[in-house]
Amino acid sequence: MIHLLPLAAAVAVAGASVVVARADDARVARFRAVVALLGVAGLLALANALVAVAGVAHAPVPLFGLSCEAACADWHAAAPFVYLLVGLLAAALAPAASHPPRTLGDLLRLVAVSLAFVAFDTALPLFVLWGLSVGLLARGLGRVDASLRRAFLRYQVPGLAFAAVGTGLLAAGRAAEGTVCWLVAIFSREAIAPFHGWLPFVAGRAPLGLLAAFVGPQLGVHAHLALVADALPHTAAHAFAWAGGATAVLGAAIGLVQTDARAAIAWIVVSQTGFVAFGLENASDVGRTGAVLTWQVSAIAVTGFLMAAAALEARRGALSLREPGGSFARTPRMATAFLFLGFASVGLPLTLGFVAEDLLVQGSVDEFPALVFGLLLATALNGINVLRCFFTLFSGKRDHLGEQDLGVRERVALTLAMAVLLLGGVFPRAFVPPPARAAAGHTAPSGQQH
Amino acid sequence: MSPVVLQALVATAVLLPLATAAALALGGWFGARLGERAVSIAVGVTYATTTLVAAVAAVAGFVGGEPIVVDFGEWFAVGHYAFRWTLLGDGLSLPFSVFAAALVGLIGAFSQRYLHREAGYFRFHLMLALFGAGVQVVVLSGGIDQLFFGWELVGLTSALLIAFFHERPKPVEHGLRAFITYRVCDVGLLGAAVWLHHAVGTAAFVRAEGTPWAGVRVPDAGAAWVAGLLLLWASMGKSAQAPLGGWLPRAFEGPTPSSAIFYGAISIHLGPYLLLRSAPLLDAHPGFAALVAVVGGVTALHGAFVGRVQTDIKCVLAYASMTQVGLILVGIGCGLRHLAVLHIVGHALVRSLEILRSPSLLQDYRHLEQAIGRQVPRPKLALERFFPAALRPWLYRHALERGYFDAILRDHVVGRFLRAFRALDRFDRKLTGWFGGASSSEVRR
Repeated sequence: MIHLLPLAAAVAVAGASVVVARADDARVARFRAVVALLGVAGLLALANALVAVAGVAHAPVPLFGLSCEAACADWHAAAPFVYLLVGLLAAALAPAASHPPRTLGDLLRLVAVSLAFVAFDTALPLFVLWGLSVGLLARGLGRVDASLRRAFLRYQVPGLAFAAVGTGLLAAGRAAEGTVCWLVAIFSREAIAPFHGWLPFVAGRAPLGLLAAFVGPQLGVHAHLALVADALPHTAAHAFAWAGGATAVLGAAIGLVQTDARAAIAWIVVSQTGFVAFGLENASDVGRTGAVLTWQVSAIAVTGFLMAAAALEARRGALSLREPGGSFARTPRMATAFLFLGFASVGLPLTLGFVAEDLLVQGSVDEFPALVFGLLLATALNGINVLRCFFTLFSGKRDHLGEQDLGVRERVALTLAMAVLLLGGVFPRAFVPPPARAAAGHTAPSGQQH
Repeated sequence: MSPVVLQALVATAVLLPLATAAALALGGWFGARLGERAVSIAVGVTYATTTLVAAVAAVAGFVGGEPIVVDFGEWFAVGHYAFRWTLLGDGLSLPFSVFAAALVGLIGAFSQRYLHREAGYFRFHLMLALFGAGVQVVVLSGGIDQLFFGWELVGLTSALLIAFFHERPKPVEHGLRAFITYRVCDVGLLGAAVWLHHAVGTAAFVRAEGTPWAGVRVPDAGAAWVAGLLLLWASMGKSAQAPLGGWLPRAFEGPTPSSAIFYGAISIHLGPYLLLRSAPLLDAHPGFAALVAVVGGVTALHGAFVGRVQTDIKCVLAYASMTQVGLILVGIGCGLRHLAVLHIVGHALVRSLEILRSPSLLQDYRHLEQAIGRQVPRPKLALERFFPAALRPWLYRHALERGYFDAILRDHVVGRFLRAFRALDRFDRKLTGWFGGASSSEVRR
């Protein structure tokens, strides 16, 4: 099944990336990127509304002999908008110094790849897009430092190889082996232990907007729901769930002892992806719905959190956590956004993050009673890490460098992200996907289901 | 009074403070320039109204004799699991709601002058409004799921207000320390909610025959102990019970009005409130009730001894609060639940007044000495005389070192965990360097 509207949005964003990359100045490029993403989001919303009103949103559309429909449904209906918001946050808060026009062009191409990813649910196009996104980030990292690109590729190339083998096995009808290969690839992409090392390392020096556009959408989750879910043997699913849970705890624990804000946030990201991976291997609908929601929430919240840090770094320089570094009074909005998005990513009540983690934990307690308490502890540690970063970066010092608070462009992007998370937290019914939808509408061909 | 009106009153007691806090937060974010007077009026009117509606509901509920249940229905649901928003106004929650709202309103009025022209005036009142809303959610919630919402808001606002004077490093450090304790102990509350769902299918408060108010549903023996221990753990963090109470004296770094309402009046008593809601567990398992009493007793003794050697008034008041809350836990463990409620209300009122007066202590002493014409006499040995002389130096040292609890927690618990996390981090960096082909200096950067 191919979804046409996200594909059209992907084509539009990819087209805009050419215009952005050709700009003479980073600020002009950033302005174009923001306008393009807002425009595509608006048009996509309008098109979705029109096909829904016309009643053809999910009607089959035969196109060149392929099975197509207009809009995404079920568990990934919100995904294109989530990815566009991730792209908007990444572009709007990208520091001009570390994001020249070519890097911003690559950022938009990553968003386009993510949008195209949602349009497909079969292994071959997903594999191709997967490789494309890895190549785009590797190119961007290479512009900064060859060692970053080398480390990134050493983790991602084996993952891609597993995805290639998995694609072949699925095509040959060997579903069990194919799904296991894809799952290893997904774990490598999503930085699940023991394949997590690239993320904190790369986050140390990468352009954060580009990294956020790669990490934020968590394409591995989409691949999991499209190709892997329900096809794994029970014991394998349990083993992978434990790996996800262990990653959540490990990320939270190691994040606490980081002395650099980039690394601390990167470990929170590792922890959150661990939560999602754990939830996706749950047998219960509640747990898996929680995982899908955690994926979407953390895509927005973690990207916003990371980009608020990037904006602060652009004003102040390297963000050390060794000693207090700033004054809340100088940048109150940036501090508020940083704190809110950080807490939203780790499940603060009254945000959609709480709903997601509540579903995840409540749905898992029957199957993994011991691990659930580890996850609760991980949530607590992540919360402590968020407040530690906030206090260290925004307080403890009277003097300041005269840094400016958020500009209009940054404020608009962050307000949108915070509004989505807050509205979702207050009215969660509109945001929670129904269980049947969350539990993979695209089951692999055969295999013992768990 | 009709049930619908009563339900509307209880709902107003929760929704109005939440709406005010939301309005202030949105105003702040969008740059509305609210003057001191406007902010104070918003907070004052909100909590005066909340006090009034909660008082009317309390009186009507007392006359009617039936608890007031407000069911907002399913907030979200997936499969067999549904999160319902239910408020419960009964003989326990409504008195708490009234006195909490009244105290928040009074503190708001007091702060109007106390924090006049303070740079963080708006921030303080926003946090106060959010705290008051959190407390209303805690006390009027119909189950642990919803109670957790308010509980977290109270914890977060507490940490942010301790760090109110954010340009100095110490308040910030102490705010983080309080938050760490809260957060680690909150695992108990969320764990209890999850565990009760797992064991009995609900974390809602239900009223059993012969009990004065609704409480948690009691699971089977083993599961009940797990739930009980988790709830006790959550209470110990919020109420600064030994050995976790080291954050309390440090928390007084915040503005005096917030110290009064958090650590003299309301926040510190939310632990006992949670245990009062856990009364069915205590009744069903006397061993657990005894454990609650022992924790309270040990804390009361610890607070009493340590408080006697403190040299500044805020630390004295902090340990006095800790002692009284310990005694309240003893009362709860011994089954004296109504006495515990009276003790909470009385202690909250007296202690918050003492804390509010504490900045004027020297002036008060001067007035007193002028009135009596001589120095105020030093207190005589009271508690100490019951102990043999040989034990007194040991007790004195124990008190000076605050029971060694802080040192033990720092060196043998938190320190060990942090060392283990650092070792994991080093190992992980080496592994990344080896696999990723990066040099050790690059990985360490």
